[in-house]
Amino acid sequence: MSKAIEIENFTYGYPDGTAALSDISLSVEHGQKLALIGPNGAGKSTLLLVMAGFAKGTGKVLVDGLEVNSRNLKKIRTILGCCLEDPDDQLFMPTLFDDVAFGPLNMGLEPEQVKTRVAEALATVGLAQMADKAPHHLSAGQKRAAAIATILAMSPRIITLDEPDGSLDPRNRDNLLNLLRSLPQTLIIATCNMNFAAALADRAVLLDKGRIIADGKAKKIMSDAELMTEHGLEVAQRKM
Amino acid sequence: MHHAYIDKFAYQDSAIHRLDSRVKFLVVLVFTAVVISLPRSSLSILACYAIGPFAVLVWAGIPLKFVFKQILLVSPFVIVLALSCPLYDRTPVAVSFGPFSWQSSLGWLRCFVILGKFIVTMLALIGLVSTTRFSDLLAGLQRLGLPRLLIIQLGFLYRYIFVLIDRAHHILRARAGRKLRNLGFKTELRTAASMLGSLFIRSIDTAEHISIAMQARGFDGSWRTLSKLKVRRCDLFFVLTAAVFMSGLYFFIKPILQ
Repeated sequence: MSKAIEIENFTYGYPDGTAALSDISLSVEHGQKLALIGPNGAGKSTLLLVMAGFAKGTGKVLVDGLEVNSRNLKKIRTILGCCLEDPDDQLFMPTLFDDVAFGPLNMGLEPEQVKTRVAEALATVGLAQMADKAPHHLSAGQKRAAAIATILAMSPRIITLDEPDGSLDPRNRDNLLNLLRSLPQTLIIATCNMNFAAALADRAVLLDKGRIIADGKAKKIMSDAELMTEHGLEVAQRKM
Repeated sequence: MHHAYIDKFAYQDSAIHRLDSRVKFLVVLVFTAVVISLPRSSLSILACYAIGPFAVLVWAGIPLKFVFKQILLVSPFVIVLALSCPLYDRTPVAVSFGPFSWQSSLGWLRCFVILGKFIVTMLALIGLVSTTRFSDLLAGLQRLGLPRLLIIQLGFLYRYIFVLIDRAHHILRARAGRKLRNLGFKTELRTAASMLGSLFIRSIDTAEHISIAMQARGFDGSWRTLSKLKVRRCDLFFVLTAAVFMSGLYFFIKPILQ
């Protein structure tokens, strides 16, 4: 059976010549909850964009056994849902219903199926009563949940989330954590928040300066004080 | 940050709110055309036409203070235009209102007619925007055959104008926090240019991110939405009432008042 993500010797540089990712090799099993941790500018967000086919470099990237190239992109985007860091970028339609329906409609589903998917996705994230709301009328926590609903409505097997806990208060962070824990999909989460990562992920990959520094069990990596401090991170402390 | 959204009362519930957006849009369009086509000689008929949108606003529960604030907000240009009329047209004209009659100029008459038409059409427009969610209005316009590209652009404009305003406020606040003295015109101008540049670059960033979010959800250039619009019996009743009101005033009351 193919793996959720397989990356072999991948290198990517920004147009100005700065190396963003260097010789990355990574494989993620289906159902795994993986935390991509690292300081700001480590290359976490870029790596997520590489998986979704938005950044092209040298090396091999496979999503659910499909090579990431222009021929497979349409199929890959129904398998891998990517949730951006700022929910305002993710929610671009006039109402929440339209936003969540955007993906399923582009998949060519029938209107009734689309309505069912939207209702299910909104119910999963606890926004069932908000379908007719405009995104700019939602709170930060609701926007984050809504952004995840836009992905869930497409029923992807893999979900990537970029800093999903950013600018959330503790209650909303706990709600998000519970939501993400309940999802059966493969989750790949880029975050700087070690408590959040430790509470959610079973595996962690530490990135710094575009290279993989450590890869292993989340709790083991995130409790290594020396490793964390060396790469500008902190040891996970709070049990969430 | 909370903004005074133009459609902030559109989320209320009333019989007017529940009407189909296409019906409301078409009625307002015809109403505006009729009001604009009224002769400049009769202010009284304009007052009669104001009853329609006024009744709609009251029925829909839209606070009149909000309505007049909105009118004032967009009025400066029209006020300047109207007030310029008495300056170039001083032809004497006899004006009568009920039992009263007095001498004025054609310029002043034009001035009041322009202001009157502006207020009446604005009442109708605010009535439309305040009782129709912007998303429904866009869906309605799309169903009426407006170019899809225009609808998409209007949708993005409505969605992101508030994000942009928020960002502009943040930048202004950051400037105010560090501006401890008068910097002089030249420096202020340079600072303003930098702020605009920063806003522009951030807008481009946002556009790139939105593009990624759209493509990630399978966008291939075709805009697909589910329309929930449906013309019902109450919509037809509204159209009929509006038609009777407008044509009644135009064909029966206007000749009496002229």
